Amino acid sequence: MATTELPLPALPEAHHEEPSGGIVDYLTTVDHKKIGLLYIFTAFAVFLAGGLLALLVRWELATPGLQVMGENTYNQVFTMHGTLMIFLFAAQVTTGLGNYLVPLQIGAADVAFPRANAMSYWLYLFGVLIVVSSFFVAGGPAAVAWTAYAPLSTSEFFQGTGMDLWIIGLAVVGVAGILGAVNLVTTIFRMRMPGMTMFRMPLFTWGVLVNQLLILFAFPPLTVVFALLFLERNFGAEFFDPTAGGSPLLYQHIFWFFGHPEVYIIILPIFGIISEVIPVFSRKPLFGYRAMVFAFFGIAALSFGVWAHHMFATGLVYLPYFSIMSLLIGVPTGIKVFNWIGTMWRGSITLSTAMLMALGFIVVFLIGGITGIFLASPPIDFAVNDTYYVVAHFHYIMVGGLLYGMFAGFYFWFPKFTGRRLSERLGRWHFFTFFIGFNMTFFFQFLVGLDGMPRRIADYDIERWTTANVLSTIGAFLTAVSVLIFLWNFFVSIRRGQPAGDDPWEGNSLEWVTSSPPPSHNFHHLPEVHSERPAFDHRHRDNPAFAAAHTDPERNQDRG
Amino acid sequence: MQPRRRAPAARWFALAALVLIAAGCTPQSVTEQGRAAYSLYNLFMYIAAVVFVVVSGLVVWSVIRYRRRDDELPTQTHGNNRLELTWTLIPTVIVLVLFVFTMQAQNKELDQSGKADVNITVTAFQWSWRFTYEGTGAEVLGSPGQVPEMVVPVGQTIRIKLISADVVHSFYVPQTLFKRQAIPGTDNFFDLTFEKTGLFHGQCTQFCGLQHADMVYRVRVVTQGEYQSWLAAATRRGAAGQPGT
Repeated sequence: MATTELPLPALPEAHHEEPSGGIVDYLTTVDHKKIGLLYIFTAFAVFLAGGLLALLVRWELATPGLQVMGENTYNQVFTMHGTLMIFLFAAQVTTGLGNYLVPLQIGAADVAFPRANAMSYWLYLFGVLIVVSSFFVAGGPAAVAWTAYAPLSTSEFFQGTGMDLWIIGLAVVGVAGILGAVNLVTTIFRMRMPGMTMFRMPLFTWGVLVNQLLILFAFPPLTVVFALLFLERNFGAEFFDPTAGGSPLLYQHIFWFFGHPEVYIIILPIFGIISEVIPVFSRKPLFGYRAMVFAFFGIAALSFGVWAHHMFATGLVYLPYFSIMSLLIGVPTGIKVFNWIGTMWRGSITLSTAMLMALGFIVVFLIGGITGIFLASPPIDFAVNDTYYVVAHFHYIMVGGLLYGMFAGFYFWFPKFTGRRLSERLGRWHFFTFFIGFNMTFFFQFLVGLDGMPRRIADYDIERWTTANVLSTIGAFLTAVSVLIFLWNFFVSIRRGQPAGDDPWEGNSLEWVTSSPPPSHNFHHLPEVHSERPAFDHRHRDNPAFAAAHTDPERNQDRG
Repeated sequence: MQPRRRAPAARWFALAALVLIAAGCTPQSVTEQGRAAYSLYNLFMYIAAVVFVVVSGLVVWSVIRYRRRDDELPTQTHGNNRLELTWTLIPTVIVLVLFVFTMQAQNKELDQSGKADVNITVTAFQWSWRFTYEGTGAEVLGSPGQVPEMVVPVGQTIRIKLISADVVHSFYVPQTLFKRQAIPGTDNFFDLTFEKTGLFHGQCTQFCGLQHADMVYRVRVVTQGEYQSWLAAATRRGAAGQPGT
């Protein structure tokens, strides 16, 4: 097989000087890798803050009575927990990973619009700061739940600057998301190296592509609903006021038209991460590459037709349509899970921490997905909607799906980002405390939800709910311990971790053929791309048994 | 090495067992309408348990059976069209079957073709409830400190007209396995036919502001005779703002 190395794209001379990596460098950088890291660090800081708020919620709910805080503070705390986690952490941490990794995976020197990329990050940061500033104004932050249903969130029922800062900050973050999406989508369509056809892109890049396309369609409605709410609050517009011809239902429709695709915006890059980690640690190619790509598009398309399953209990939506569409999402998701198992089947599996996290992901996501099927059925949804059953369900998707996948990604790519490995020993502690803590926290919430405990209540006086709540609170603190173990691992490993070399895991995609960390222009040399595993082909270039002709999904050979 | 490899398997089985326990945790419905939801839930639970055990079993099996033993690369298979078609079709069939049962249960649960025996207008407001017995002058008004009680006769069809005086609320009695949002500007109707007497907890489930957690009420299901005498007394009292006694 030819091993000629391709000429690199011409770069401005300035790019060849390695920048200092100091504070001024990070403040002024347009390097996609540094911007990616800025995204990840900012999002992780938001995650830690949101996690502290979650601990406050669990502390208050452990036993009946108001022990820790009053109702108003409780409402602010759970509102800001949801706001930070969903709007300011979940989508941005994967955007950060995408920012860092996508250009590397497609063999590009940077993103298509480096300056717009920097602007998108800084808009995001200032959006976060605007939302967080609401803690320091008179009346404190919003206390209307992260969904901010009108008319509760209108000025008639909720006054205060905190709510307006909430709207403004999130609208700014939304604009940052759209700008970032334009950039990443363009990068993936226009910046792939020669030979890197669409069907040779790594699954993580596919996940990011579909996720960013979803952002392009789902964030504008979010901006719209926030604009309407802002006008209603500050200028007397009456979009949601039934006495003036408006409709409270309108808010729910627009909000969930964004809100449901948002779930897939969060989870698709995670599917991508899992689809990178499992083949590498099974030492096999991804099973059913094309089916995996089509499943991404299937999920994305269906995700825009299911929003009103959040509104079954309104009694004002057409149930059969939204029910069948929601049920059908189980099909492409099932394809993914079976293909991951197919990848491991007859593989050669190493249980590294990244792989453990990926396996944990499959199991908890399975529970989240199965309970999602329950919720797609209106008669069952009528019973458990807005109870702790739903809280448990979406935390199995969000915490279970997002966090396991995110940590799998962190353990997998940390060596690429830093040149050092995270400690596997601490990683195991991290995984097992997290797995036990997480399941303790949320499994019992299914039970107490089935028993009728509503969500978003500061207090309850039904004694038989106490056991589940105490266990859930203990689980939450154990989860916090697992995050501390991760932080400890991070700070130790970044200084004294075992040097990783360029390719510690025998990776498949192009980021593993460059140095760790990569140079500012990403590659000194690029191998030819003949399949979806260019790094694998490059490693086995002298072995005719693994010649790319046999392994290229473009040629679609070697299938049963 | 052996016990360490067994540990994850034991964990999955413990989890699967917990999932099965969850099947028994839905409260039995106390209304005729809720019975359909109850049996539907159980159907979903059985299928879910099988899917969970099979899929997580395959994961655990792969990890144990195919762990890395040497440096030799395994056969580099890329897929299998027949297998992939199989695991596309099976979930499709499962969800279509679930959809058919869902529609049947839903039509039973939401059926309002029968004649209503008792008409009650339920007004949700920040942060309590008003129960107005149409055509009788009886009314029960609650407040966050005073839990209102909706008294209804057993075995009769109660038609609820649900409205909101301010923001979105939600009417929920866990043991009916049913809830419905109270949306300002909208009249929402549904029937409840209680099949046994008793006192049942009810609570707003749609977050509605400061004292959302205090928006609790009770449903007292009594015999026809008891209901008539309660109604007569309540009508005499008029809108006295007292919980039913």
